[in-house]
Amino acid sequence: MADRRYTALRRAAIVLLNLLLVGTFILIFALPSPAQRAYPKRIPVRFWHMWSGEWKDVVDRIVQRFNDSQEKYEVVALSVPGGSADYKFLLSVAGGDPPDCMAQWNQVIPAWADEQMLVPLDSLMTPQEWQDFQATAYPVALKIGCYKGRLYGVTTGINIWACYYRPDHLRAAGLDPDKFPTDLDELWEWGQQLTRTDESGAITRMGFLPGWYSQYLPVFGGSLYDAQSGQVTINTPANLRALAWLAGKQKELGYEKVVRFQSMLNTGGFATQWPFISGQYSIALEGQWRVEQLAKFAPDLEYRTAPIPPPKGGKAHAGWSNGNFMIIPKGARQTQGAWEFIKFWSGVDKPERAAEFYTWGGWLPLSSKIAQAPVYQDYLRKYPQFQTFLDVLPSENIEVSPPVPFQVFLADMTGRADDFAMRGTKTPQQALEDLEREVAQEIAKRKRFGL
Amino acid sequence: MQSNRIGYAFISPWLAGFCIFTIFPFVASIYLSFCRYDIISPPVWVGFANYDELFRNDPRFWKALWNTIYYALAAVPLGIVTAFALALFLNLEVRGMSVYRTVFFLPSIVPAVASTMIFMWILNPQIGLINSLLRKVGIEGPAWLNDSHWAMHSLILMSLWGVGGAVITYLAGLKDIPVSLYEAAVVDGAGPWARTRHVTIPMMTPVIFFNLIMGIIGAFQTFTQAFIMTNGGPEDSTLFYALYLFYRAWRYLDMGYASAMAWVLFLLVTVVTALVFRTHRKWVHYGG
Repeated sequence: MADRRYTALRRAAIVLLNLLLVGTFILIFALPSPAQRAYPKRIPVRFWHMWSGEWKDVVDRIVQRFNDSQEKYEVVALSVPGGSADYKFLLSVAGGDPPDCMAQWNQVIPAWADEQMLVPLDSLMTPQEWQDFQATAYPVALKIGCYKGRLYGVTTGINIWACYYRPDHLRAAGLDPDKFPTDLDELWEWGQQLTRTDESGAITRMGFLPGWYSQYLPVFGGSLYDAQSGQVTINTPANLRALAWLAGKQKELGYEKVVRFQSMLNTGGFATQWPFISGQYSIALEGQWRVEQLAKFAPDLEYRTAPIPPPKGGKAHAGWSNGNFMIIPKGARQTQGAWEFIKFWSGVDKPERAAEFYTWGGWLPLSSKIAQAPVYQDYLRKYPQFQTFLDVLPSENIEVSPPVPFQVFLADMTGRADDFAMRGTKTPQQALEDLEREVAQEIAKRKRFGL
Repeated sequence: MQSNRIGYAFISPWLAGFCIFTIFPFVASIYLSFCRYDIISPPVWVGFANYDELFRNDPRFWKALWNTIYYALAAVPLGIVTAFALALFLNLEVRGMSVYRTVFFLPSIVPAVASTMIFMWILNPQIGLINSLLRKVGIEGPAWLNDSHWAMHSLILMSLWGVGGAVITYLAGLKDIPVSLYEAAVVDGAGPWARTRHVTIPMMTPVIFFNLIMGIIGAFQTFTQAFIMTNGGPEDSTLFYALYLFYRAWRYLDMGYASAMAWVLFLLVTVVTALVFRTHRKWVHYGG
């Protein structure tokens, strides 16, 4: 009797467990997608981006504007964690289900275009539109977006670096803020006068810390890429001059002193933690996005901006640049819808309308037409410090990372060579020679593998 | 028969997952290690080219391999000695011992990323805990993670943070040693050190052996700390094998090359483990 009851109970338990399992599966698959559609009858355009926090709000506003302007498409935006966005994108392409478009800022165009992963965006334009685009877009926007003469990315924000400086520090050191240096060595001298140390010799305020190698290459007239031959150029006199200058200045400051100074800065990544605000830097080399952030988080801070001054024989209005750009992967279901969204945001079709979006994010525009729009001009009047970046933007001397398929490898190795030279482990000459050999090995390997 | 089927039905979700996500990639990686493969395009057969490239033309591969071996040689014995010593202390009959045991075990359950972030602060050259303490006694500590001479040693020292798990196994082993052995040793006139040397350590060798094998395997797979704290730097001083493999696979989309690296690592770990196994008859004593 007890046995029979036990068997019946066991069976009931098994049936119940199975039902629970099946029910859970049904529930999981039947539940609606967490991404709520505001316009379910429209064609969805799936858009991935990597912004979060205050920036995500700006993106959401732009998406909302696009959706409000549409009757056919609805952009469904998804913020993908930046650290893994590239892997997710690659896997989605490999799996045959990529998003319809993606906003990127990593160095991906040469490698991905070389793999035939991206839709050439000029193929979505009429010949006249493509011609107009090339004529109106800033040179750096074309450098960022093009690979082997085809357009794979349309910029929605270009980053330019310039000097931010604090007039209060300058005045206190007896320097005239109205006569900012026009020569790099003079700027270095100013930095020395502005640097403060404590009784132990530790740096408590950095007058001016030059920064990283790629940023200074164009300033010294150097480059890692020869556009004519399409070859990587490493161990050239101008490139060596730039690295030697940086390494020399680092040695003057003392590498370990700089490391110790930087390690005590509050650099958690939040806009409010920028050491320039707290006065730990007098002159800082930073991108244009700081203007918007300073207005928001340190509205009373007195500061000015100026282009990086070139050394003797160097190039004015020069530097390294990158930016945010929109791409469409091959295999996207709604290529046309994605292109409509890209045009809307970037201002390819209506620059005056898009100008407002650029001001929301404090972004540098794709073309001078956008910069000339009334709303953008109002923005410049409101934030005069932004003008410096706009002045540098049209320059032909702004370089981007070399458009080669092994761009990420090259950037990593260049950063490594920079580090060796700054630490003094290798002479600048040795660092460049080694870099040249390593890159040549990688190129040879690619050739052996038929790439 | 019927009950077997039910058993298989119950483990089938795990079995399916294991086959799809472990066995299949495992087997596929053998094939991929002989291919040029970047995820997007189909794999292209290149024979032994990846292996040839690794051994003959890639100095960073050798650097990463040496770094990993160096780490294993230092961190594994250090971890064993520390965990064993801690277990001996935590085995004493002292009031409130369960609290001490908990305290020493707790760090090992802190997620690796969280503890890594904490150590970045502890090892900060200017405002870090260690250098602040050293400064109090008149020593200016090194830049730790930012100094190529110290970065690897910092990570080796940091590995001790997670010895709590091993301590528990040693404690369990210590509890398992028959009291009669100690009684006999005392009768023979053995002091505390002689008892440890001639009773405790020999009886603990199976546990030490287990921790040695697990430690070696774990050391060869070291990744998280270097990925978060140093990115392989400074000057490649913490470029671990697994980290370089990851970069090759996901930063440079060189999956074939990374697969070859993975198989070299697998074979290396297998050989080292087999060698250790071969020695175990000489020094591992099983109580039974």
